[in-house]
Amino acid sequence: MREILENIYGMTAINELIAQPGYLIMILLGFVLLYLGIKKEFEPLLLVPIAFGVLIANFPGGGMGVIATDGEGFVRYTLNGAEVVKNIYEMSLPEIAHDLGIMNFLYYALIKSGLLPPIIFMGVGALTDFGPMLRNLKLAIFGAAAQLGIFAVLLIGSQFFTMKEAASLAIIGGADGPTAIFTTLKLAPHLLGPIAIAAYSYMALVPVIVPLVVKLSCSEKELKINMKEQDKLYPSKTEFKNMRVLKIIFPIAVTTIVAIIVPDAVSLVGMLMFGNLIKEIGNNTSRLFNAASNGIMNTATIFLGLCVGATMTVDSFLNIQTIGIVVGGFFAFGLSILGGVLMVKVWNLFAKKKINPLVGATGLSAVPMASRVANDIALKYDPKNHVLNYCMSSNVSGVIGSAVAAGILISFLG
Amino acid sequence: MENFLEALQLMVIGMATVFSVLLLVICLGNLLIKAINKFAPEEVVKKVTSQSENVAIDPSVAQAIQLAIAQITNGKGKVEKIEKK
Repeated sequence: MREILENIYGMTAINELIAQPGYLIMILLGFVLLYLGIKKEFEPLLLVPIAFGVLIANFPGGGMGVIATDGEGFVRYTLNGAEVVKNIYEMSLPEIAHDLGIMNFLYYALIKSGLLPPIIFMGVGALTDFGPMLRNLKLAIFGAAAQLGIFAVLLIGSQFFTMKEAASLAIIGGADGPTAIFTTLKLAPHLLGPIAIAAYSYMALVPVIVPLVVKLSCSEKELKINMKEQDKLYPSKTEFKNMRVLKIIFPIAVTTIVAIIVPDAVSLVGMLMFGNLIKEIGNNTSRLFNAASNGIMNTATIFLGLCVGATMTVDSFLNIQTIGIVVGGFFAFGLSILGGVLMVKVWNLFAKKKINPLVGATGLSAVPMASRVANDIALKYDPKNHVLNYCMSSNVSGVIGSAVAAGILISFLG
Repeated sequence: MENFLEALQLMVIGMATVFSVLLLVICLGNLLIKAINKFAPEEVVKKVTSQSENVAIDPSVAQAIQLAIAQITNGKGKVEKIEKK
């Protein structure tokens, strides 16, 4: 009887949970993330799958955690009681599924291969309207200034991390989840879990971080600059005789330009623009548009979230680097917003037509949340000052800017 | 220190490239707007006249309406258009 009870006890995860309390901390973290996603509605579409991935990856004996490789791609695991060391890149997918479990199979087939982030970018493109950017093309330049956080944190992070790790951390400043994941996979895959969590958490905190940086860096007078009044004072000479054709040609032209200058950014920008193209063509490609923006994107999001969560095991998450990523990510995010604001200030020194600094603050790519938050701030200072359409210009160009920045980092450090 | 210099170099190259690409996108956008305005302006959709507008009003009915209006308005009112709905 005692033997049976011991066998049952041995079958459960209780023994290992007691022996290694790190598991309990990770399970608790999974619960907290689930709470934030479900109750606080912090990016629930991604945070809920990530949180659940964290949860199922950290039950000892469950075999659902992604096993990290060493620098040369070797993994160590126990199979039938014997310790095995193999190079993951020499293993076939069925072998990975058999030896390491289904979550490792999904991770190496869908995530480590770099498949899902571009697919999600295709869905993002299908949901993006470049109309506001085309109507206010000059404002798109602030999407470049708001990449300052990425490179500033790369500079600081290079003192505490390796260059590849610092670049992966810095890309959080782009405020773009798929871009952060894509870059980290290429440069520092062992940091994927904490970087993805930091990126999505700060994106969810846009309504807190943007007002904070704006309050610290802008005066009331600047925030009261009314963009529509400026348009009336200095009207644009550009007229649009065929917006539909322009919106169709634009993604094709941007892909071509980016592909020539930064080829490493094509997988992201190209897929973004492809998604946008099938949206803009209209009825003839509406079935593709529906698939890209609904079925494919939602499926990709589920697997991306679960697999990223499953990378956050005790060994890979509970270390000093994670704290560095959380702190560094915040600075990258804040400095990106500040970069956009500062460029507007410099612009306003020389230009007759003044620009509200909120347009610069939305140069990061959290679309459209950053623009909505900026619009709310502008309305607080002047109830007639609707800046949403102007902010969307820099906001959408920020998506292109951060993808280009990622391409540069991968190109130089990958 | 070596890392710092490499990161600084990457910062300069990176920011310059991002600015260049977005400047090119802006120039490209402006060129496209001009080209499309010149070569592919939106087709003016001809107003489709509804069938009801083409239906002729019976002259006797039109006369009866004119007489009724003249009587009600003491000859001041004029009928300019009669439409069937």
